[in-house]
Amino acid sequence: MFKLDRKLIISTVAITVALFAVGCVGGETSTPTSDVVNTPLDIDGGVSYKVINGKTGPYYVNPQVSQDAPKIFNGRTPTPAEIKRWNTDLQPVSKLSPEGHGIPEGSGSVEDGETIYEAKCVMCHGDFGSGGGGYPALSKGNAYALQKTLTNNRWKDPEADGPTRVFGSYWPQVTTLWWYIRDGMPHPFSDSLTVDETYALTAYVLNINEMKIDGEDVDDEYVLDRAKFLKIVMPNVNGFEPNIAGLNALADVRAYYRDAKNFGGQNLNQGAVRCMKDCQKATAKVKYIQNGGIQGFSPKLTAVRDLPKKKAVALDVKKTYNSNCAMCHSSFLSPGSADWAGYTAKGIDKVYANGIKGTPGGMPAKGGTALSDADFKTMVDYLISGKLK
Amino acid sequence: MDNKKSQQKDTIDRRDFFKKTAALSVTALAGTSLLASEEALGKGDPAIMHHTKWGQKWGDPVTANLYGVPSAYEHNNIRRNTSLLSSGNYRASIAVTPIHESEGIITPNGLFFSRSHGGTAHVDPNEYRLMIHGLVEKPIVLTLAQLKRYPSVSRTHFIECPANGGQEWRGPQFNSVQFAKGFMSSAEWTGVYIKTILADLGLKPTAQWMLAEGSDNSKMGRTVPVDKVLDDAMIVWGQNGEALRPEQGYPVRLLLPGWEGNLCVKWLRRLEFSQEPWYCKEETSKYTDLKPTGKAIQHFYANEINSTVTSPSPEIPWTDLKDGDIVEIEGLAWSGMGTITGVDLSFDGGKNYVEAKLKGLVLPKSWTRWSYMHTYKKGQKLLLTSRSMDDAGYIQPTIDQEVSVMGVEAVYHRNAVETWEVTETGKVNHVQIRS
Repeated sequence: MFKLDRKLIISTVAITVALFAVGCVGGETSTPTSDVVNTPLDIDGGVSYKVINGKTGPYYVNPQVSQDAPKIFNGRTPTPAEIKRWNTDLQPVSKLSPEGHGIPEGSGSVEDGETIYEAKCVMCHGDFGSGGGGYPALSKGNAYALQKTLTNNRWKDPEADGPTRVFGSYWPQVTTLWWYIRDGMPHPFSDSLTVDETYALTAYVLNINEMKIDGEDVDDEYVLDRAKFLKIVMPNVNGFEPNIAGLNALADVRAYYRDAKNFGGQNLNQGAVRCMKDCQKATAKVKYIQNGGIQGFSPKLTAVRDLPKKKAVALDVKKTYNSNCAMCHSSFLSPGSADWAGYTAKGIDKVYANGIKGTPGGMPAKGGTALSDADFKTMVDYLISGKLK
Repeated sequence: MDNKKSQQKDTIDRRDFFKKTAALSVTALAGTSLLASEEALGKGDPAIMHHTKWGQKWGDPVTANLYGVPSAYEHNNIRRNTSLLSSGNYRASIAVTPIHESEGIITPNGLFFSRSHGGTAHVDPNEYRLMIHGLVEKPIVLTLAQLKRYPSVSRTHFIECPANGGQEWRGPQFNSVQFAKGFMSSAEWTGVYIKTILADLGLKPTAQWMLAEGSDNSKMGRTVPVDKVLDDAMIVWGQNGEALRPEQGYPVRLLLPGWEGNLCVKWLRRLEFSQEPWYCKEETSKYTDLKPTGKAIQHFYANEINSTVTSPSPEIPWTDLKDGDIVEIEGLAWSGMGTITGVDLSFDGGKNYVEAKLKGLVLPKSWTRWSYMHTYKKGQKLLLTSRSMDDAGYIQPTIDQEVSVMGVEAVYHRNAVETWEVTETGKVNHVQIRS
């Protein structure tokens, strides 16, 4: 039944899809259990695991949930003011919506936009939106010319020019820019620009991308407002697949992902072959990482199991003496004792070395401490001289 | 004093031993005779023969770590970043999972890969609100406690950044499995199906799309078709038996099983239903796949069938193996489009394949472990290539097959087979086989 419904829906309009969708909310138990198979290739081209015999895939589901769910309302109704405060998204102009959605009244000039840009944006996005420091470029030049680079592909000639994907050349809708500036920028202090400031910055970004609105250049004197904004057509508006606009959008998306060829996939149910023997062309070659590849790993790669390096702690000579040395060295070779001469005569390095390694005479290595060699030598110096440095 | 002296002697012998065994490890690495071990082991392995540092003294009291932490010796099993992927002062960046150290099909929460578009937000759960509005009969706003009162489900799914492997369309770049394949992790997620909440709110017949929006400073948003919302989309608050980590969207994120990680919006605050889609920043400026035709795939939802060898790896190679050692070749397979049905393994870079074995739990849209027992031949060069299949019928393409449709400029959704070269000395290098 599920399968049949879906097939019907594919051939009809999206309104029916939505109705069907509502119908299946919480409808798990109404799904027949005997003749339903998991529907292959859902909207994403994959399998949807319907509830069969009380289970979705390997997981049991509680059938009471779908019966009771239509009665659960755990929260409260948001007020219109609350919805307005968060509902700040924009949707573009379309056949169904000639005014788009959420596009506010307001205006801003390229000139004002440049002033704001210089104050709040240039430190990351660079002069005239050139990018840098890991932040995206906002322009690489004339949007209409750069849109034509999108067919550039370095698959046959690695030295060829690649495509240029920036706002002007690539993005299909200008509402995306306006909305993101308003809600997501500036990056360290977002949701802080006014509507007019957002129009001004949008105008500036259109300007540096050398865009036109309704045939008119967005030049340095241009003032952008809502009415002009609604007329912006991005150069790459038709550059994307599958179609997601209009009432047939979901059916278009489903159809697209049903064919693995559209997205470079191989599907055994669509003619792909699982080759086990002699699967390669004679021209197949091993390609190695060139010039060390991408590195800069932080922290560096290692799978060693050891203790992390301890952070250096300043040596407290008196405290270390009392805890580790005094039990022997208060009576034997005490700090500043003349008896040290018999040992230092052989050279101070010999004394250090004996102390670090320990001696058969009973001196434990480094006196049983975990001191660095340098710190241990400081302790030896103290014992010999009897004085702190 | 006698006793002291004998202890001292003991220490010296022990030191000698360590010197010998150290030398021995070196010779083992060089692959020469191990006869020396007989002499060295005459006095026994000091790890067995002597007291250990921890064997006689009291350990920590049970109250030492009231939230447990890994052994100090595991300090290298960590997420890592590379300066190349560090846009925005590490705020619009990614730290990737050490999958060469991953066990089973669950990533510990502290190692789950971390990717954000404006830094990790720290949300006060008391101020958390989720709003659902737009084309629903009854809009709603929920506190965290109210949300968690809905009947919950727990599901094991991986989350993968679609840029996993995306640096390598034109050739191998990372000599590391952590960086080549670690833009993903897996967990058992607990939350509520969105369809369970909508059963009461009532979706209007014209609704086709859902906007999911985060409360972080980037207001990360994505458009989701209602098909997914009404299938297996979840609002989750639990990750491997505890609250989500801040890096995974604490206290609440969207989970769209199998779909791009960025679609699983973190720090989720708003779901709006609409007849038309939104064109959010991260679904057109990024996360689109430009093809040689000049057209780009948008709304590329599911992470496709994929696999990798995790052992051996460039990080943990076979340089310590001896001729004739029997060793398990192990790896992961995953598909956002279904359940793994099989994995093939090639020793010659994809010319010929044998069937590997699946092991452990095999769950939909989940990491799946696979295994193959191998007798190691010292000095033999291998090209290990894995290739997985799922119940939707997909099989991983060769690099040539994928590139012939997608070109090399797509950035995202690269899922062609990948190859490790095992050299004569057992070192492991990331390579690709291309015509």
